[in-house]
Amino acid sequence: MSSNTHILLVEPEALLRRTVSMTARSLGISQVHEAASTDMALRMARQRRFQGAVIAVDCVGSGSGRRYDLSLIDQLRADETADGRAMPIAILADQATPELLAELRERRISRVILKPFRAKVLLETIANFGASKN
Amino acid sequence: MQVAPIPDNEAERLAALRALLILDTPPEQRFDKIVQFAATEFDVPVVVITLLDAERQWFKASVGTTVCETARDVSLCSHAILRPEVMLVPDTLQDPRFADNPLVTGDMNLRFYAGAPLTMPSGLRLGTLCLIDHRPRTLDAMELGILSTLRDLVVMELGEAGASNV
Repeated sequence: MSSNTHILLVEPEALLRRTVSMTARSLGISQVHEAASTDMALRMARQRRFQGAVIAVDCVGSGSGRRYDLSLIDQLRADETADGRAMPIAILADQATPELLAELRERRISRVILKPFRAKVLLETIANFGASKN
Repeated sequence: MQVAPIPDNEAERLAALRALLILDTPPEQRFDKIVQFAATEFDVPVVVITLLDAERQWFKASVGTTVCETARDVSLCSHAILRPEVMLVPDTLQDPRFADNPLVTGDMNLRFYAGAPLTMPSGLRLGTLCLIDHRPRTLDAMELGILSTLRDLVVMELGEAGASNV
């Protein structure tokens, strides 16, 4: 990735989000756009095109209906441009259940990052987005 | 052991530090969060936000130590504030400035040190955000970038502390 690429980072923890975006900028890795929630990210995705995304997914619902909210990924993949269909996306999750991994495979997710999340791992993932595309 | 020289702008530096009205204040979550984040991010046992007073270094926030200040003449941070970039000491026992420092040879067992100077917008360096380990190690370019970012976040918080005291 280069400093003129735009990456969407969706993560509720402000300190992690800020650390990744500020370091990515200072090291010339990418311009990272921060969203604290899926709703905010959906609004941002409607306003500009991204070359990659790192998205924390949370569970919604309760009991047997409890599932990961993948609506943002579906929205990004629904973009009919080549960028939207092929955009590299990494997921942040508490755990990788077989059900989640199956859903992510269907959505062509390139990387799953499990807790504890480290800024360095997120930055390396963003830096490698370009390499995996080429 | 080499004692760090006193910076040329020491009087101005101390005036700026004291104007923050932060010395000897209780812990604050906004600083505690940063040292806790750094300890996890870098997998180090000790992280400290130090402020260099005339005769001591005082800890505004820390992880992994119950000490709240040390004498300035043994402080590695007093060396770190002499330059704008991160001071990296991969192995203190291999560095003639620190090999016989009591923080290295004593209970603190300080073997690795990385100190990012807290440079205020005025250019004055008031202290450091520093990482300490009990074994030799180093930081790569990305880790140095992350440490610098966390330092910048500490400086922003200090700036807000200063603004609220005007």
